[in-house]
Amino acid sequence: MAWLFAGPALLGIALVVAFPLVYSLWLSFTDVNLLRTTGPALELGGLRIPLFRWIGWRNYVQVLADPLYWDSLWRTLYFVAAFVAEAAVVGLAMALVLNERFAGRPLMRSLLLVPWSLSRIVVGLLWIGILDFEFGALNGLLLRAGLIDGAIAFFKEGWTALNVLVSVYMWNQAPFATLLFLAGMQSISEDLYAAAEVDGAGYWRRLWYVTLPALRPIVFLVLVLATVNGFLMLDLIYVLTMGGPGYDTTTVSWHGFKTSFTFFKFGPGTAILYTLTALCLLLTIVYHKLVLGRFEPEA
Amino acid sequence: MLCATVVAVALWLVAPFVWLFVTSISYQKNLLARPFPLVPPEVTFDNYRMILGLVRFHAEGQAAKILASMWNSLVIGLVVTAVNLVVGTTAGYAYARFSFPGKTLSLFALLFTRMLPTIVLIPAFFLVFRALGLQNTLTGLVIAYCSFTLPFTVWIMKAYFETIPADLDKSALVDGCNRFQAYCRVVLPVSGPGLVAGGAFTFMLCWNEFVVAQILNTRPGTTTLPPVIAGMNGQINIDYSVIAASGFLGALPAVVLVLMFQKYMVQGLTAGSVKG
Repeated sequence: MAWLFAGPALLGIALVVAFPLVYSLWLSFTDVNLLRTTGPALELGGLRIPLFRWIGWRNYVQVLADPLYWDSLWRTLYFVAAFVAEAAVVGLAMALVLNERFAGRPLMRSLLLVPWSLSRIVVGLLWIGILDFEFGALNGLLLRAGLIDGAIAFFKEGWTALNVLVSVYMWNQAPFATLLFLAGMQSISEDLYAAAEVDGAGYWRRLWYVTLPALRPIVFLVLVLATVNGFLMLDLIYVLTMGGPGYDTTTVSWHGFKTSFTFFKFGPGTAILYTLTALCLLLTIVYHKLVLGRFEPEA
Repeated sequence: MLCATVVAVALWLVAPFVWLFVTSISYQKNLLARPFPLVPPEVTFDNYRMILGLVRFHAEGQAAKILASMWNSLVIGLVVTAVNLVVGTTAGYAYARFSFPGKTLSLFALLFTRMLPTIVLIPAFFLVFRALGLQNTLTGLVIAYCSFTLPFTVWIMKAYFETIPADLDKSALVDGCNRFQAYCRVVLPVSGPGLVAGGAFTFMLCWNEFVVAQILNTRPGTTTLPPVIAGMNGQINIDYSVIAASGFLGALPAVVLVLMFQKYMVQGLTAGSVKG
């Protein structure tokens, strides 16, 4: 009976996730050549899915021998660390503000969802409008206020561009962390705060000894989700930097994307992307063990 | 103090989006003007006229793609949402109510597919769709989009059904309904908020998706809105103000949808994230 209900979805997921996942894994061990139409293939009633030639670990060896991979990996680790820290801190700060009582709180909670509901293409586009060297509003305002002598080129120098990318992505993603933190805060009993207040604890001590310990599962959740999102981010790089200047904003996912779909080298490309997938599996286990079921939000 | 902080947070959240709108009703020459005007000196809807094809200009070929691709985005979004609501919701119900062999394992697999980089699936889709003739078709994108929406929908709906007392189904079963009737006639009618949350979230994901559409549907006229906007952004002969107008127009449906259903979406998403 259960399978009758769950069956269609699981079958669908098997077809559109499990099968492509396995096929991509297979491709990462073969010499994919998109122009070749002969060779081994999986024949399924008139449908011919090419299998290419098995070459073992050669794609992985080639990819891992390329210094570009390691450069992008270290860059990705910095990107992820900076993004996770910014998203968690800003997300928590916004949640602390929105958890206070003030007129217009429902409106604020709606506004919270604006950055999060935008396509990352639009997110990139609107930040170009703010940060651009020639017509950017931020440069315009800073120049007008006399705080800078010449316009700042936010995307010209690698290190600046990478950090701008981190912050723009944070602007888009932190609201979701805020939603999770807010849900957590609402389930903390008022009595705890009252008791802490009786004991003479000020705002910061209440935050440190009451709020944060109660939020621990949520903090884990936010960290795990932000880490995954950080590793997978592609679309903002596409609109803002294209991995440049040079390779200065090339992350592992961008490196895999370019190898696969700009140079159409599916073998090495899928190998690069599979190193990310392995990492996501690891994070899924962490998520499963540390977060799920550890938290009961009040309905 | 609190008031100032609230204003600062509000500005941080919406000022960039509001600025996108301001640039979309400005002339490029005013955006370039230095010293920077604090109040836009002129307001114009020319940028919108250009992308809607009401006036001729040098990049009208590019601009004409906007409406067509918006239509594609809409069709794909609606079909994927419908598929998700029918198939995903039913599975969510199974996970909330039944225990069956392989449940724990398949739940873990679902969680993993939620965390998976969709991009790793695209080489496989690329080759299979080429074999099937599904490249550059809306059907292809619908199939590909189910790969990242379906696991989410199952999870959100599972969390939602768990908030509905199981006694409700039991009493329907006692009254002579079979499981399917109990689900369709008793449980679904009281699941409005969950369905709205799952549906709106699915539509938003599809409407905003960029990478998959960019790679799989390259032929003109077959792709969705985000790749078209990104393509215009890469062209030097198109003014930023025109691109801003298309960006704002493209962002509006998702923003309005999310704001309309925010209460349900927030509940659904938070419950779907913290419950195993």
